[in-house]
Amino acid sequence: MKWLWLLAALAVALVAGVGLGPAPVPISQLWHSTIVRDLRLPRALLGVLVGGSLGLAGASLQSLVRNPLADPFLLGLSGGAGLGAVIAIALHLGGPWAISIAAFAGALAALALVFRLGLVGGVELDPRILLLGGVAVGAFCGAVMTAIVSLAEASELRNAYLWLWGGLSGASWDTLRVIALAVPIPVVVLLAAARPLDLLALGEEPARHLGADVAAVKRRVYLAASFLTAVSVAVAGVIGFVGLIVPHLGRALVGGRHLRLLPASFLAGGALLVLADTLARTVVAPRELPVGIVTALVGVPLFAVLLRRWTAY
Amino acid sequence: MRRLAHRTHLVGWLALLGLACHGAAPRPNGGAAGPLVLADDAGRTVRLAAPAQRVVSLAPSITELLFALGAGNSVVGRTVFCKYPPAALQVPTVGDGLNPNVEAIVARHPDLVLLYRSPHTDAAAQQLAGLGVPTLVVRHDRLTDIARTARLLGRATGRDASGEGVGRRIDSLLASPLPPVRARIAYVVWDSPPIVIGAGSFLDELARLAGAENVFHDIATPSATVSIETIVARDPDWIAVVQDSAGDELPGWSRRPEWRSVRAVHDGHFLLLPADLFGQPSARAPEAIARLRDMLSHSPPATSHSR
Repeated sequence: MKWLWLLAALAVALVAGVGLGPAPVPISQLWHSTIVRDLRLPRALLGVLVGGSLGLAGASLQSLVRNPLADPFLLGLSGGAGLGAVIAIALHLGGPWAISIAAFAGALAALALVFRLGLVGGVELDPRILLLGGVAVGAFCGAVMTAIVSLAEASELRNAYLWLWGGLSGASWDTLRVIALAVPIPVVVLLAAARPLDLLALGEEPARHLGADVAAVKRRVYLAASFLTAVSVAVAGVIGFVGLIVPHLGRALVGGRHLRLLPASFLAGGALLVLADTLARTVVAPRELPVGIVTALVGVPLFAVLLRRWTAY
Repeated sequence: MRRLAHRTHLVGWLALLGLACHGAAPRPNGGAAGPLVLADDAGRTVRLAAPAQRVVSLAPSITELLFALGAGNSVVGRTVFCKYPPAALQVPTVGDGLNPNVEAIVARHPDLVLLYRSPHTDAAAQQLAGLGVPTLVVRHDRLTDIARTARLLGRATGRDASGEGVGRRIDSLLASPLPPVRARIAYVVWDSPPIVIGAGSFLDELARLAGAENVFHDIATPSATVSIETIVARDPDWIAVVQDSAGDELPGWSRRPEWRSVRAVHDGHFLLLPADLFGQPSARAPEAIARLRDMLSHSPPATSHSR
């Protein structure tokens, strides 16, 4: 029943995302319109994949670091991606995909750095070190980025901040192809880690006694979730709140068992992002809101309702 | 702060403003020595003992205007963004101007500092006032602002006649747009997210005065984020892009598939506008308008306008 709700929410979001937009397209023309075929449809599908990736990555990372505040960008990836994008703009790297590729490279660099930091201190990928390392690397990248923006003279650099706020305006069938190739492997890796993540929730020591290869699981989950986040950043910038809120929505709907929580987070993340993007495109048309603002405006009240319920027990 | 006038009735409005700027007793061209009383765009009354001899300008459009008035020799400080006219490059820089570096400004020993109005510069203006350096805060966003600012700067630097001349030229420019051509333009200033120019920008005025139409004239702000879908639906004949680098290379995003849904992008109908002429509102607006008109008439895209 709960799954039906989730699937229905996703279906409604997709229909709204394809059917609604700032430009009026009559229903009879829906299938023949370039606007629908080349802009709205890839954008809605990209929203499903990016929102789903962020929801799934958020749920996995919250379990990995055993902290309900974790979100996919807490571990320094947004800083790395932003720095990559700013460098690409400052160096006038040409080509239609330069910023995306640079952001992806920056996110991977931050990922590698945080991972390396997480290896120090004996315990591999100690959650506390990961969190601190992520925040530190993110802050450092942010500082370098701001220094470049304030020192370099290219006026476009101010717009790099807008890019960082995230959005699905870069959606096309090409983008979709790239992300559709990149997403399945980490998704499968994370879903396959559902059972060990259940054990990990009991604590590392108990999980080890129950037969989980804790170090390997942590490494796989960390790398797969971070890779998903890096791909999302490359195609859609830093879209906030989805990865933080959706896992909690998922937990409220289907409980904490990861075999249910992880797919539920993917579906809910996809639905939330497509709905938020549809609102972002339509409510102030012809203008458009940054989608990260709408995910916060929609997601945070939902979140507050959940918090009330939990504290009511 | 939105100026209401961007269409007709400008002349009367400007005349009023002109009077306000000139105060009760218009002075002959820099002749009478004695205290100047000036009203700036922050609503302040500023007194100068004499026309300024050492001016620091904190905005590219202000620097350009000072040179246009013949006051270039009085400019002793500029921002790193002030690159026009080329002679301005000889002037030492005092930072980026957005977040004024008061120490660097004072080190130039200015007798007048010109600031672009923003929350950052308000604070700097107060600091400078505390140090006894007179400041004028100007809001210089649209073509109407040029006329007003030119008169103000003319008086402040003792070049009343030049200021008045530029002001008149802009006034008459605004009063006589070129006859309309069938050209609908979308100015795209950034691609991801797509940002276009609305009615609040001087670029919108330039399009109108060149006889063209900005398809996002209904957006009141200088710029706004829109969906590509909206640009497709408005179906402009031309995509206008202001480019820093001279050259005829199309922007990289013009090859991105989602943008090719826009007819003008697909057909390569770009207006590549050089930033030194189109990047800021300037006294060379007549030249910009002529250039734009010339580009529009070179290869009319109206033939493919049949969708």
